[in-house]
Amino acid sequence: MVANGKEKMPPIVSLKYKRGELVIKEGDYGISIYKIVKGKVRIFNESGGREIPLATLGRGEIIGEMTFLNRGEEQRTASARALEDSELEVWHPSTLKKEYEEMPPVVKYIVNQALQRLVRMNQLVAQFTAKRQRIIEKAKHVKPGTPQRFYYRKELDQECIYRPVNSSKELRLGGRVKDISLNGVGLEVRSKNALNFSHEAGDTFYVTMMLPTNKKLTFKAKIQSVKMDRTLGKIMMGMQFEEIDGENRKTLGFFMRS
Amino acid sequence: MTVDQLVYAYVANEEYYPDKTVVIEEGSKGDWVYLVLEGQLKVRKSTNKGNVTVYTLKEGDILGEMLLLEPGKGVRTASVIAEGPVRLGVLDTAQLARDYDSISPQLKGLIRSLIQRLEETTDKVCDLALEAT
Repeated sequence: MVANGKEKMPPIVSLKYKRGELVIKEGDYGISIYKIVKGKVRIFNESGGREIPLATLGRGEIIGEMTFLNRGEEQRTASARALEDSELEVWHPSTLKKEYEEMPPVVKYIVNQALQRLVRMNQLVAQFTAKRQRIIEKAKHVKPGTPQRFYYRKELDQECIYRPVNSSKELRLGGRVKDISLNGVGLEVRSKNALNFSHEAGDTFYVTMMLPTNKKLTFKAKIQSVKMDRTLGKIMMGMQFEEIDGENRKTLGFFMRS
Repeated sequence: MTVDQLVYAYVANEEYYPDKTVVIEEGSKGDWVYLVLEGQLKVRKSTNKGNVTVYTLKEGDILGEMLLLEPGKGVRTASVIAEGPVRLGVLDTAQLARDYDSISPQLKGLIRSLIQRLEETTDKVCDLALEAT
């Protein structure tokens, strides 16, 4: 029922793109279809100023078919950028459009479903990739070699006394434990405490505190991370337990479960 | 006449399957294209890290469309499993093939590209989903 499409096509236009040049911008209006004659093109979505790659296409592959097949949707659903110097054949869709309309309904029905599934899959790729990038970003902010505390934490605000391990036994510095887990504590102290004694990642303190259950807890812990709040004159330290004896561990365990 | 009714006209035969039947097995050969007439099925892909359910098919959905558009390939790219009892319509493959052949090479190129993209993207989603767990 349809004559040879090639004969009906207007003359084919070729465009050249330099490496890094944008071919299609997501959200733009456009109906042309491109076939890659030479080079490589990356298809990507943009999310929060980041490029989320969807696919890399090479010679013989087609770009822009989604906008064409998605009837009534003329906005580009993804961007395309030349990864190397590329040459693209541009098809004007007017002839194809008529043909598409006249396509057997059952084929159109199937193509439509495939299209909807692809839109959905692209959304999922974008979601998963954005999530993964957030995790990577987060990991970058942690100082190398500082293990995170993964355990379940309880927020609290309890006074404690502490002293660096190499200091005199009589020394008593004051601070507040702001959170606690089976793995360590968050300790907040006044910045002036750090004038006479080092409070840096890797330093180890003896700490004694009272839990809200009125049980005493004593342990040795190492500073993993330090956050200064100059305006308030406070330092917040993430600390990991180094030594905590059986009795104290039991007390802590009971408290964490309560 | 709605598109759905036009598609129903292609149903050559009906098949019934009880809950949990594997209607299509990934990697197996088969040329049937089905239309879901009643019930739900899940489409599952297996990867070396585990299985991922990629989507759920409901009434009116087509399964096995990749075969129609990539004729001769003949290998199923995912497993399809009944969730509860299902009624499927087997489409007249010969008629479908004739319809598809009536399309111009350029339009076919577009459709092939779409199907290929869908396959690749689905694989990518599986990898990402497993990575995220």
